[in-house]
Amino acid sequence: MRKAILGSLPGMLLVLPLTVSADVNISGFATVAGGRVLSGDGVEEFGLPPTFLANYPQVGVYEEEWSFKPDSRIGLQVSADLTEGLSVTGQVVARGADDFDARFEWAYLSYQLNDTWTLQAGKKRLPLYYYSDFFDVGYAYLWMRPPADNYTWQIFNYTGINALFNTQLGSWDVSGNLYTGREDDKENKLLSQFFGTNPVREIWKDIIGGVISFNRDWLDIRLTYMTYINERYRTINGVVERVDWDGELERRGKFAGISVNIDYNNLVILTELNQLDLDGGKFDTYMVSLGYRLNNITPYISYADFDSDGEMHNTTSIGLRYDFHSSAAFKLQYDDVEDNGVDGLMVAGDSKSVTFGVDLVF
Amino acid sequence: MKTVLIVSCLLLPLSVSAAISVVVHPSNQTSLTKEDLTRLYTGKLSSFADGSSAVPVNLADSVPLRSEFDQKALGRSSSQVKAFWSKLVFTGKGTPPKEVTSDSEVLALVANNPNIIGYVSADAVSDNVKVVLTLE
Repeated sequence: MRKAILGSLPGMLLVLPLTVSADVNISGFATVAGGRVLSGDGVEEFGLPPTFLANYPQVGVYEEEWSFKPDSRIGLQVSADLTEGLSVTGQVVARGADDFDARFEWAYLSYQLNDTWTLQAGKKRLPLYYYSDFFDVGYAYLWMRPPADNYTWQIFNYTGINALFNTQLGSWDVSGNLYTGREDDKENKLLSQFFGTNPVREIWKDIIGGVISFNRDWLDIRLTYMTYINERYRTINGVVERVDWDGELERRGKFAGISVNIDYNNLVILTELNQLDLDGGKFDTYMVSLGYRLNNITPYISYADFDSDGEMHNTTSIGLRYDFHSSAAFKLQYDDVEDNGVDGLMVAGDSKSVTFGVDLVF
Repeated sequence: MKTVLIVSCLLLPLSVSAAISVVVHPSNQTSLTKEDLTRLYTGKLSSFADGSSAVPVNLADSVPLRSEFDQKALGRSSSQVKAFWSKLVFTGKGTPPKEVTSDSEVLALVANNPNIIGYVSADAVSDNVKVVLTLE
């Protein structure tokens, strides 16, 4: 999983004094997956054929022909330990949904203040939901992908400051982080390409959030909260227009969630319950998954739901994870999506799909 | 490089069902519970009971004793342990213990540094280290 290279990579010479010999770690992850829609309704009013939207923010879309693009990706992480608690990390991810156009998803400096606190600054993943910040690392979780109905938000990175903590309270391990920053996505993929046809610039600013996790033996409880101000611009026929919501140029979002996970003997129970309040409008999401480990094979079932005024959809999934190698897992999953959105607020219609693939880490 | 790996594999005891000894430097006066050990090897603890810094050393996947240790000390399969660390590594929340490929490397590191903690099969323990915990 890790390769320690003593010395300096050519690129690092630009940022490191020549006299410093940094401990550079290279690690990575990859998912190669394929799938197709077996049957589906699509959405007639949008002219959408039978479609399974497997990944909202990246617009990872399966249709009725086999495709290996929507869920496939590869990530490479380089981390240089500059000693005395200071390190710098970069993570580049190339996704099939983006035609494998590689981009920096993470780039941050990290400074360990003491045994409890670590400060980080730079570009990171927004740790909204339980799986948000390791969404790309398929090997780290049970399913083919975290339930799509829950992981629907268009912004998933931010640039700012993050303070991580890690401590012990009695027999509980307590960890978490506090963060602040902003994200300015010049052409947001989900809003520009799936929920619309005009380029949309999406800004989430004044982001302030926190996460706290309590962990003890087989029990893991995570609480999350985040608030931000939303600003949006749409380009129509080359003219940039600022979007307003009932005359207001900005709106405040407040996100809160709880996740309870149990891993007892061979039984795995995963749950999440989240709500986003956007100026009073409520967007509720939850999911429940059950798995049972039989040596190297873990079959699972899962149900995920999204509910707001008008937009309503859920997915029932059944699948298995097979740990066939010390660094790789094979997965097979069947998803049944039910789209109960009212006219104009459908997402991709009902669909039944199958996907399979291999996740690995190195 | 390859020959070195093969040779070190041959030097390992053929039986892997032996007890595992958790070892520290002879000068280390600390006592260690199994819970402390689990915490040390999952990145949740980074010091000994006396407050001095503790640096765990792990065996690589290629060594059979590793999966036994994961099962006995952490109560998890090696795949589960790797999935756990993947989550931390790729979110900047932690770094897994350094890995070496043989008992003798573990013994040499522990014998030379009071901050290092490691494990070897019980019959490999030498006089240069002190056993603080035995996992049957």
